[in-house]
Amino acid sequence: MKKKKVVGILRAIGLGIFLVVALFPLIWIFLTSIKPATEVYTFPVRYLPSRATFEAYRYLFSFARFNVYFKNSFVVATVSAGFSTFFSLMAGYVLTRERFRFRTFLILVLFFVQMLPTYLIMIPQFTMFSRLKLTNTLTSVIIIYTGFGSAFGTVMARAFLKNLPRTIEEAALIDGCNRLQVLFKVVIPLLLPGVGSIFSFCFVNSWNEVFTAVLFLHTDSKMTVPVALYSFVSKAGIQWNVMAAGIVVALLPTIVVFSLAQKYIVEGLTQGAIKA
Amino acid sequence: MKRSKLWILMLVPTFALVFFVNLYPLVRGGVISFQRLTVFNLNNPRFIGWNNYRTILSDPAFPRLLWNTFVWIACSVTFQFLFGLILALLLAKPFFGRGLYMGLVFYPWALSGFAIGLLWSWLLNGQFGIVNDVLIRLGLLRTPIGFLSDERFAMFSVILVNVWYGIPFFAIMLLAAIQSIPNELYEAAQIDGAGFFRKLFSVTLPYIRPTIYSTVLLRIIWVMNFPDIIYGMTRGGPAGATNILSVQMINIVYYRNNFGLASALGMIITAILTIFAVIYLALLERGEFEL
Repeated sequence: MKKKKVVGILRAIGLGIFLVVALFPLIWIFLTSIKPATEVYTFPVRYLPSRATFEAYRYLFSFARFNVYFKNSFVVATVSAGFSTFFSLMAGYVLTRERFRFRTFLILVLFFVQMLPTYLIMIPQFTMFSRLKLTNTLTSVIIIYTGFGSAFGTVMARAFLKNLPRTIEEAALIDGCNRLQVLFKVVIPLLLPGVGSIFSFCFVNSWNEVFTAVLFLHTDSKMTVPVALYSFVSKAGIQWNVMAAGIVVALLPTIVVFSLAQKYIVEGLTQGAIKA
Repeated sequence: MKRSKLWILMLVPTFALVFFVNLYPLVRGGVISFQRLTVFNLNNPRFIGWNNYRTILSDPAFPRLLWNTFVWIACSVTFQFLFGLILALLLAKPFFGRGLYMGLVFYPWALSGFAIGLLWSWLLNGQFGIVNDVLIRLGLLRTPIGFLSDERFAMFSVILVNVWYGIPFFAIMLLAAIQSIPNELYEAAQIDGAGFFRKLFSVTLPYIRPTIYSTVLLRIIWVMNFPDIIYGMTRGGPAGATNILSVQMINIVYYRNNFGLASALGMIITAILTIFAVIYLALLERGEFEL
């Protein structure tokens, strides 16, 4: 009995350490972002600000035009995640329900594409889009993110669809509905958590993408949040409280999405979708 | 007849996009790797044979690039796995508030690697960083360390952050596998008088072996192609101390604007990636783990 108690205490300590290590960096960057500029550069470090101030955020959204970047990021992530979800549900559905000759091959293609990092193909994408005169547009990155999103969205959709019993659909098929109608009237309503997790997954990936965006988007009015952060680094004279505020703004939406969809994302992840 | 056409149409958007946005550019990248192509001659590239590859491979810094990439992958994945496993084991039995706890501990997984790199570069700052501050207060250090500016510590620092970032993914995958282990196995082990470590090595780990294989392999591929954290912290510096293949490729694009040269390096990376991908898919085929 005594041993059990010791184990319990050790476990609580272990869990506590993991929690502190996971949360501390985020708390610290937030504390830095609400410090007055004069209290950021001190050593030994001043832990708590003498007063909380939002001057860094005010600077971001007025002088540094983060309102524009935030809006751009939001448009890019939402639109590409929307299209990706729509496309991948259709493809995932067909790939789980229809048997045809190149099915396995197509699935393997998706697995391979899912492993391709964005930076690796950004150069040919850039030359292609520059021929179409589409570089430095939000459209270009939306199309690119939708390509990646559709690939791993389809893999995720397959994982969810495999667990869905087919009996209900078969009844609808016999009633004369076609595949598309069955998907939207029968399958998707049953699969809302899955749909939500595909969407959040694509949203998060598009929101976070930095390398293609830096190459493609260079005018101020087209930049997304990661591009703005990137340009901060090379800009001399950026205060760390402003930088910290920018980081908080970059992280916040994905934290919100994660906390809303965490359960389903975890489900999708463990059921065979593989983006690490 | 009508139906059979419709399902083909449903595949078109995804595969048309995947073809034009992912697969065709990959092939195009192969062509560009044999060209002299920079930002300034985008419309009239010139074929120069294997020159770009020669430049990459004969660079005296190339062996170090490979070595750094190896160290980055090996250390990151090993420690991500170990800490992820420990966290998964701690979470295996239910306790009050476990759902909330998991949400709080797993959140780094969804965050931007680049922003995380920037964030940690502030925590590890050589002059005003909280990590130096705490180490000095604890008496472990006398003067601050330049975690990112000192060649001896830079690689250690970026790996540390990558481990921090990667623990949730491993924990999530391993926890799901651990929870699928039938309880009877533990009960039987209990009756046999097995202790914690005996159970871990004779029941838990053998049972979740397929998950370990697939997760580690995927993670190797992914970490190799994950320049985000390094780019947020050091961009490969100081003096190439944290430069890995992927970071170098991006540096060639951004700073030297040499698309041909970068594409040659990209093809080398793609070749390595393909080897790992084939291993992964072959294991899938053999049924080592499930698709």
